Amino acid sequence: MSQKVILCVDDEEIILTSLRDQLQNHFGSRYMYEFAESADEALEVISELNEDGVEILIIVSDWLMPEMKGDEFLIRVHKQFPGIVKVMLTGHANEEAIERTRREANLHRCLYKPWDEEELIETLVSGLGN
Amino acid sequence: MDTRKANILAVDDTHANLRLLTRILTGHKYTVRPVPDGLLALSAVYAETPDLILLDIMMPGMTGYEVCEKLKADERTRDIPVIFISAKNEIFDKVKAFSLGGVDYITKPFQSEEVLARVETHLSLRSLQTTLEEKNKALTEAYEQLKSAQNQLILREKMAALGQLVAGVAHEINTPLGAIRASINNISNALSASVRQLPQLFQELPPDRQADFFALSQAALENRKNLSSRETRKLRRSLKKELEEQGMNETDSFANILANMGISHISPFIRLLEEENSSFILQTAYNLFVQQNNSRNIMTAVERASKVVFALKSYARHDDSDQMLSANVPEGIDVVLTLYDNQLKKGIEVIKNYGEVPDMLCYPDELNQVWTNLIHNAIQAMEGKGILEITVRIPDASELPDIRSDSETEPGQDAYVIVQITDSGCGISEEAQARIFEPFFTTKPSGEGSGLGLDIVQNIIDRHQGRIKVESQPGKTTFSVFLPISVSG
Repeated sequence: MSQKVILCVDDEEIILTSLRDQLQNHFGSRYMYEFAESADEALEVISELNEDGVEILIIVSDWLMPEMKGDEFLIRVHKQFPGIVKVMLTGHANEEAIERTRREANLHRCLYKPWDEEELIETLVSGLGN
Repeated sequence: MDTRKANILAVDDTHANLRLLTRILTGHKYTVRPVPDGLLALSAVYAETPDLILLDIMMPGMTGYEVCEKLKADERTRDIPVIFISAKNEIFDKVKAFSLGGVDYITKPFQSEEVLARVETHLSLRSLQTTLEEKNKALTEAYEQLKSAQNQLILREKMAALGQLVAGVAHEINTPLGAIRASINNISNALSASVRQLPQLFQELPPDRQADFFALSQAALENRKNLSSRETRKLRRSLKKELEEQGMNETDSFANILANMGISHISPFIRLLEEENSSFILQTAYNLFVQQNNSRNIMTAVERASKVVFALKSYARHDDSDQMLSANVPEGIDVVLTLYDNQLKKGIEVIKNYGEVPDMLCYPDELNQVWTNLIHNAIQAMEGKGILEITVRIPDASELPDIRSDSETEPGQDAYVIVQITDSGCGISEEAQARIFEPFFTTKPSGEGSGLGLDIVQNIIDRHQGRIKVESQPGKTTFSVFLPISVSG
């Protein structure tokens, strides 16, 4: 069975936990969910999944993280995997970074914490539909 | 001022004298208004203020002394120089002439050179005085304007720092809010599901499987330690392997759910997982776990948000009484670090070396401003990446700068606390080091700093009778703040 993956990246465990159960609740076992607490970890996960031939459909990434930030991370991913849909989920808007991600990583949408569950699901559904 | 064009009032009841004075002075291009008595003199002064008055003393009616007294009593006329004229044979009180405000005197009969010399001298003096007064006034105005401009800049600096803090705080608060909002939905959804699932589950499950179900739920609920995303992946892989070894289907989703619940081995639950409706059973257990786990998530989020709010409150604690309060220095620094957390975590490692230091009398919110400025500068110097080391301790006697050299009481070495803030940034050149505490001096690109940050720091430390010094080389810049534990006066 070839599972498709939704990957969430945030340095805050409380965010990943709550995202995990939201995704689990809405999409159940239709997708696999992967979580990473930093951009570096996420890149590792992406390359592992890629080696295993598992397709990543969507990445939901925080912007403000230690080390590599969300814009840089998504732009880097975009160079290798332009087909993955990229969503940013951030607590504080850095317009410049969002604009850059929009331009250079084809950002699908930027959501703001505290996010609305329906909006998140709608964003993912519309991203998955692309 | 060209004294030659000056306007001189000559007052004498002797017409011959008046004519003589007029002739001498007009001959030297002065404008002269001759008047024969005191009363006319006063009205002439009020009609047009002269630059100088030559005033005879002995006159019928109002004497020169009386005229002078009146002039000096009036603010509009008090600064006009008065030179008394007195006949040699008259009884003339020089002391009285000066005490009434006369600047000089001439005795009759006079020589024209003497009159001209004295008039010239006093006109120049008056003119110099006027120029000085004007300059003084202009300087005072300029000083007031500067002071108000400086106050505005200090305020702007504070507002800029506040703006940055607000942006950081927005992030710090929105993160836990996001988690809380999502967790509440998760709990609510899981609860609805549980209410549906549990009765069905108990109808379908044989009693000993029910015991297994409770054991599984219990194991998940008792699992207090939160696994990192990496650990969860590892656990999921090992669970998947165990499930495959048991020849089970749906190994991916089972492994996923079990790993999320933190179940480390499937062996105690194999019979449960072999049930026909095992997927439903697992979902039911998971929903119970979701309720507890998301509640815990909310607790953590609330603690996080409270910490930020507490830091804000401590930061902005305003003390209008202007009295020193007892406070703990490391706690104040931690408050500032909490507020800068979002900037620090972009790539700065913070090393704290806090030794045992007593609480001390200080202006806590002002000290917070000191730590804010120093930490903010450090972050900027490192361009957001590097190591920030903060040391708080009792300094050795040899380290103490001569702080109270004028003090009679020799402070013991335990009378100070030293706070050292070290960054791994680009460093400050020696020329800049000598000037960084000057107001308006800045090494930052224009628009990024007012150049007042360290001036404010210096002022606050002075208010605490402390000292600040800087040592810098590329890669290591240390600001050391010495604060007396008990401040006198």
